[in-house]
Amino acid sequence: MDMDDLEGKKILVIQTHGVETPTRTYSPLFYAMAAAAMEIEVMVWFTMNGTNQLKKGEAEKVQLVKDSNVNLKTMLEMAMDSEVELRVCQQSLELWDMKVEDLIDGVEIMGATSIIELSLTYDHVMYF
Amino acid sequence: MAHEEVNSCVILKDLHYSVKNNTWVRVVDDSTVVVGMTDIAQSLAGALLHAKTKSVGTARRLGKPIATVESGKYVGPVKSPVAGEITKVNEALVGDAGLINRSPYNDGWIVEMKCENLAADLAELLTGDDAVAAYKEKIETDGIECTHLDGSDTYA
Repeated sequence: MDMDDLEGKKILVIQTHGVETPTRTYSPLFYAMAAAAMEIEVMVWFTMNGTNQLKKGEAEKVQLVKDSNVNLKTMLEMAMDSEVELRVCQQSLELWDMKVEDLIDGVEIMGATSIIELSLTYDHVMYF
Repeated sequence: MAHEEVNSCVILKDLHYSVKNNTWVRVVDDSTVVVGMTDIAQSLAGALLHAKTKSVGTARRLGKPIATVESGKYVGPVKSPVAGEITKVNEALVGDAGLINRSPYNDGWIVEMKCENLAADLAELLTGDDAVAAYKEKIETDGIECTHLDGSDTYA
């Protein structure tokens, strides 16, 4: 497919992995940023263990690349700067005893029915 | 060609820069320009693995991507510093995205564009000593140190 045909497409990335598995946190955000750079509308939906990386103070502790200053918090911020939308599953907050105020800035909360509805409007869903 | 170096970052004084987007414009004639990434941009991105340009004929508004570049640690758009239509793309980047790292201002150019209102677009960009001053501030504020791969261009 030609890169010029991609504009306006939508991808939903579902991330279910969290701070306890650092190597599984990097790629979904990297793909999301790649999609955003290609002018694809992209949302990352955090649920299950994925939710815990959005708790204030947690993502900073996850070093992703050896000898680099890039950590998971940096990646989340870069994703948001790239206009990747970050959403978290409301129900999954309880799994981690998290409240709305525990979330890092820029993340919005959505319920299960909203995400089901949204997923049907996206061109592609990537599940991690 | 007159240039300045700040923390090893090369800034050519005859180019026009979008400091925010780290891109440069070389004026070819009154409506044609060549666009590329700055030495700062290539350093921040790291050794590039892929560069995909938009196709010839694509119309771009200011700030819209003319290409995407990716390294092992970075992926992002190259945002157009002018408005216009892409008239040529650098085919050499397909097999060797590292050209952008090694020769950001010459062989690693990204696209050529035809602009409808180039004078107005250039008025929004910085050139000469103004560009050097703006980059000096950015480089010092952000603590940027440019790095150059083996075989990189040298500037007399």
